[in-house]
Amino acid sequence: MTETPDVVLEVKELVKRYGEITAVDGVSFSVRAREIFGILGPNGAGKTTTLECIETLRPVDAGTILLGGLNVRAQAQEVKRIIGVQLQSSSFFDKLSLAELLLLFGEMYGRSVDPLALLDEVELRDKSRSQVVQLSGGQKQRFSIAAALVNDPVVIFLDEPTTGLDPQARRHLWGVIKRIRSEGKTIVITTHYMDEAEELCDRVAVMDAGRIIALAPPQEMIDALVARGFRKERVERLASLEDVFLSLTGHTIRDE
Amino acid sequence: MKNFVSYLRDPMRIKWMLTLASLKMFFRQREAILWTVLFPLLVVVLFGFVRFNGMGRISLGVVNEGGAAGADLLTRIKNVRTFEVSEGTRESEMSELRKGERDLVLVIPAGYVPAAATEMTAFGDLEAKPQVTQLGGLVLQRVFDESAFAGAPGLRRTTLSTIPFKSRNLTYMDFLLPGVLSMSIMQAGIFGVAFGFVSLKKRGILRRLWVTPIRPSDFIIAQVAMRLLVILFQMTIMVGVGVLFLNLHFIGNLALIYLLGMLGAVVFLGFGFSLAGISKSEDQVAPLANIITLPMLALSGIFFSRSNLPGFVGAMTSVLPLTYLADGLRSVAIDGATLAQVTPQILGLGLWGVVSCALAVRLFQWE
Ligand SMILES: Nc1ncnc2c1ncn2[C@@H]1O[C@H](COP(=O)(O)OP(=O)(O)OP(=O)(O)O)[C@@H](O)[C@H]1O
Ligand SMILES: [Mg+2]
Repeated sequence: MTETPDVVLEVKELVKRYGEITAVDGVSFSVRAREIFGILGPNGAGKTTTLECIETLRPVDAGTILLGGLNVRAQAQEVKRIIGVQLQSSSFFDKLSLAELLLLFGEMYGRSVDPLALLDEVELRDKSRSQVVQLSGGQKQRFSIAAALVNDPVVIFLDEPTTGLDPQARRHLWGVIKRIRSEGKTIVITTHYMDEAEELCDRVAVMDAGRIIALAPPQEMIDALVARGFRKERVERLASLEDVFLSLTGHTIRDE
Repeated sequence: MKNFVSYLRDPMRIKWMLTLASLKMFFRQREAILWTVLFPLLVVVLFGFVRFNGMGRISLGVVNEGGAAGADLLTRIKNVRTFEVSEGTRESEMSELRKGERDLVLVIPAGYVPAAATEMTAFGDLEAKPQVTQLGGLVLQRVFDESAFAGAPGLRRTTLSTIPFKSRNLTYMDFLLPGVLSMSIMQAGIFGVAFGFVSLKKRGILRRLWVTPIRPSDFIIAQVAMRLLVILFQMTIMVGVGVLFLNLHFIGNLALIYLLGMLGAVVFLGFGFSLAGISKSEDQVAPLANIITLPMLALSGIFFSRSNLPGFVGAMTSVLPLTYLADGLRSVAIDGATLAQVTPQILGLGLWGVVSCALAVRLFQWE
């Protein structure tokens, strides 16, 4: 194994337009090895577009993207071999079982994978014979993470993996994501849940209207805000409704 | 990098794996079996059945070697509603009988005299069409008797003996099955591909594939291979069921049948991919696919012979791809046509294949 450079992903002055709209407008950031890097921002900020440019799905209008030392625009095919991708909206073939799908995806990388081991990673072993249509929302998200792992990627991109999940399922997925990171992978994730970003991410970039308007570890951002004199109007409550929900329904994952 | 090398070494493997996976997906859809095999067979059986019952009249060929007296008898026979009479030489009528176009052929011998005792012979396939030949014989006998009474009441009876004749006894089913087979190939190519692909596109399944290193061409090749294999399967089942259970008079060269079928499949797959290329949703596919297929279903001689079409329509529709396919399959299957005899059809399909594949390449879009 060659020595992994500290920065695995470097995006410089990325610009992407859809006709009149400039969806990504000069975005630069770099992601370090083994980091969980979050991208936050309101709907339409350009998060998905940024990820899709990095994932080789969209032609770029300007800027450079280096991933694992490869130039994404020039070496798309090689880049595809070292990334794992969960798209915000995509689905899988019907009529194939989870195990068959993972085997097929492995073949696309010329690998023969062990589907059960991959399903273990996301705790779906007992669903190996099910089809994707038979899974719950949370299970689907976990399956698409398993599918993103078939090629033992260097960097994994997760676009809103927890949107629409119940609090337990989200926490469960957090566990999965942390474990994947602990196995030496770098993760880039987008989310609309601030608690999730705070819990998972080493650093977050906040995007708005196609630009990055802040980039720092979550705690630093909070500290900086407080230092500017910000105070919550209401004093910190001892518990939130989410805490109530979790204590009522239990912390274990509901997956039947 | 190790994997990259192994990928380069074995570029066929992923195509085959994708083909296999697509076949699995195809055959796990219950509707797929229904539409590709059961429905076409049902059409054959149903149409064949309906046509048989509608056909009350007996097709009688008459060979008149008996001059004016024979012509007089012929007129009497023509007045009988039960018969649909055609007149011809011994050779031509016997050949029609052999094909099954006639139920019975009556020969009026030279020197026939109505009131004199004469032996008359008719030919019919007693084995394949026992009722029709016997009924025809009885009715003919009555006509002879009437004609004998009219001439002179001396009453010397002309007797009819029916000589058994082995005909190929081609039925409407024989005409229909190659036609319906062509229709199913067209439907599988156009509807199967267009709907299938648009749904993959719309549901983002293709996008998920493009972040893996497979090439779009790998996927297209696998899709085409899968469809061709399914069509081969469909052809085999239909011909098999036709011969084994529907009493199909199949005398053609099977390899030639498959060759024509595959050529037709390529033509219609090209149109299917073209439609998939320009459509964003199933709603857009359906009308376009119908505009292409419905006129051909009506005018390509699938269910009824094209010989009844008015001249210019007949000429125009003779160059439709479905016409080439149906004509080719039919003449190989039931007339035993050779490669040389179906060369026009093969060339026609080849030309259409070039057109449809070029169109597909021009129009195809992934997003
Ligand atoms: N295929 C497309 N064609 C045209 N415009 C697009 C396309 N995809 C996205 N856009 C536009 O680009 C902008 C950024 O979209 P993007 O999907 O990147 O936002 P996002 O930050 O991921 O939003 P969300 O949080 O809702 O997922 C939006 O204004 C959107 O309308
Ligand atoms: Mg998005």
